Amino acid sequence: MTSRFTRRMATRLGLAAGLALAGAAYAQAQTTLRIFTGGQQRPDVMRQIVDGYMKANPNVKVEVEVGGATSEQQQQYLNTVLASKDSALDLILIDVIRPAQWAAAQWAEPLDAYLGAEKDAIMARYLPAYRAANIVNGKVIALPYFADAQFLYYRKDLLEKHGLQPPKTWDELKDAARKIMTAEGNANLRGFETAGAPIEGTVCTYLVPLWGSGEEMLKDGKLNLATAAAKKPFELWADLKAANVTPPNLAEIPTDRIRQNMQAGNLIFGMTWGYVWNRLQNDADSTVKGKIGVVPLPGFTADKQATCIGGWQVAVSAFSKNKAEAAKLARYLSSPEVAKQQAILASHLPVFPGVYTDAEVLKANPWFEQALPVVQSARARPVTPRYTEVSEIMRTNMNAFLAGTKTADQALGDMTNRLGAIFR
Amino acid sequence: MSDAIRHRLTPLEKSERRLGFAMLAPAFLLLAAVVLYPIAELIRNSFHFNHLAQPWMGTPFVGFENYVKALGDDRFHEAVWHTLLYILVTVPGAVVIGLGLALLANQPFRVKWPVRLGLLLPWALPLVFAGLIFRWFFEYNQGIANAMLRGLGFEPLNWLTSPGLAFFAICLAIIWKSSSFVALVLLAGLQTIPKSFYEAAEVDGATKWQQFREITLPMLRPAIFVALIFRTITAIQTFDIPYAMTNGGPGNSTETLAMYIHKTTIDFLDLGYGSALAVLMFLVSAVITSLYLRHTRRDPGRH
Repeated sequence: MTSRFTRRMATRLGLAAGLALAGAAYAQAQTTLRIFTGGQQRPDVMRQIVDGYMKANPNVKVEVEVGGATSEQQQQYLNTVLASKDSALDLILIDVIRPAQWAAAQWAEPLDAYLGAEKDAIMARYLPAYRAANIVNGKVIALPYFADAQFLYYRKDLLEKHGLQPPKTWDELKDAARKIMTAEGNANLRGFETAGAPIEGTVCTYLVPLWGSGEEMLKDGKLNLATAAAKKPFELWADLKAANVTPPNLAEIPTDRIRQNMQAGNLIFGMTWGYVWNRLQNDADSTVKGKIGVVPLPGFTADKQATCIGGWQVAVSAFSKNKAEAAKLARYLSSPEVAKQQAILASHLPVFPGVYTDAEVLKANPWFEQALPVVQSARARPVTPRYTEVSEIMRTNMNAFLAGTKTADQALGDMTNRLGAIFR
Repeated sequence: MSDAIRHRLTPLEKSERRLGFAMLAPAFLLLAAVVLYPIAELIRNSFHFNHLAQPWMGTPFVGFENYVKALGDDRFHEAVWHTLLYILVTVPGAVVIGLGLALLANQPFRVKWPVRLGLLLPWALPLVFAGLIFRWFFEYNQGIANAMLRGLGFEPLNWLTSPGLAFFAICLAIIWKSSSFVALVLLAGLQTIPKSFYEAAEVDGATKWQQFREITLPMLRPAIFVALIFRTITAIQTFDIPYAMTNGGPGNSTETLAMYIHKTTIDFLDLGYGSALAVLMFLVSAVITSLYLRHTRRDPGRH
């Protein structure tokens, strides 16, 4: 009895050991990398790109995990994964505002060692803003995947029909929108939209007009909101609201709703990001194919235009078990070939200046010609490890103002108080 | 007293007692691991500075600093106030509607399952789904609420972006979602009331309303109390529905205490302060629950 039992046990153990060995051999031949991306960063295009990578590297399998639609929803999920040091994700696509926080929290594996002697040469190829955003305290925290900035999307057909030029100032935009809305008489047609819901994009709804009036939010790391310019953004949006150019539910509008409204033919002007172009031109349900133009955002005066810098970076998780392979994939995703592929497939703005003038890229995105100077002059949101708090304070106060529950003075006062506690 | 008892234990009783403890131990250990340990850790955290976005600061002991900060934090006060408002509106609301539903479900329908299913469905639906569905109802452009207003010739309303309307819409969603749970509890209570009481009342010529006031309501008191306690405890923790409907907006005007704790801990990674807020919420809910329990104990004649 005992002997039969031990024999059976031995067979089982042998089987298990064999399986484990086979598994180990398999693992050696095949590395599985898991990359996290947001639902709005075109996971379908990411899949095409990694398919190409897997063909060239048969020993690597790449899985794409898709998370929340907005930047802060993604970060919420990633906070729980990374705070618990989970190794499930190897690479993560992060917003341009995050590297400082990720460096401080030690969630991103510094890539310097993986770039080796080529580090400086590699980093020198990128647009300066992206080089700066991804190097924190001398360490490369992530590699840029695509660039972004806010532009003014407009209905070329409607502007032409009413004999108007794309606006260069906010006043011109207001007048043009009112003229078209009155003449068209379509109750569904809205004049202008920007993000107003309490989401990340709404931070730029405050910052763009602030910069446009020639001020900075921070000066030498200190809060600089006691200026007359600090009120300008509130005045601008109040003015457009009073003129019925922005819709009454602006406080409900997240980034992608602007694209949806434009796509449905219900919006004349939209302040939004690069990805929108491709969707408007190529989506099956787009009613505005060939009817859209893209120009730099207006300013208070035509010579002072400002925009928010955006864009997404590939970071290697500090808790990944395949950092070397992950770093290799990160370098591939941050290459000029992939930048070109993204530009054509998704109208993602390249992080390499040379790709903007590529003939195929320009054929898919004629407006990229004017986009490079905009991206080059685009400004960064405040850089701080506590950015999530900074962002939350700015977007909820902006949202409260747009909803009409706080006056400009209350919103600015609350913003100043709470931000003051962070930027001491 | 206990010494006297222990003195009188026979060896057999002692070993029985040891066996009893041994058999309880696994359950106790499990409970300790999943309930007591996290609570202890939460309380420990609340006395420390622990901010994951500032790891270079370490996690020093700061005494009551986090609690002092909470007492001076406007946003904490507002979140507590909003939570209280949700309790005051949605607990009685759910009990009244739930009672109506229970009375309806208790009618002698020939086919009982459609009514029961109708009662169970909202309860079985995950909270965040209920929140999303109601958000769609109240959305400005596509929402059914504004479609009806437009159809009736009124101007559409900013349901989710004006504080009063958003509060109303959220309360409506919470009451819809939670009244079915109340109804289930009350339905169980209704079914314990003997039919003979009503027959006797009928013979004595009591009206339906008199029967309801003199028989149903008093007999249902224990069940109503149970429903009230459970509903209040979940109302203190209100999170999912406002999170899905407004995410606390416009501004922070519909943010509850649980949402502020979530934001502080998960979004801001400020574990120390978030833990202190969670401990405060725990205290509030302990106080409210003990008030209820005291009230039930003061009412012995009703069982």
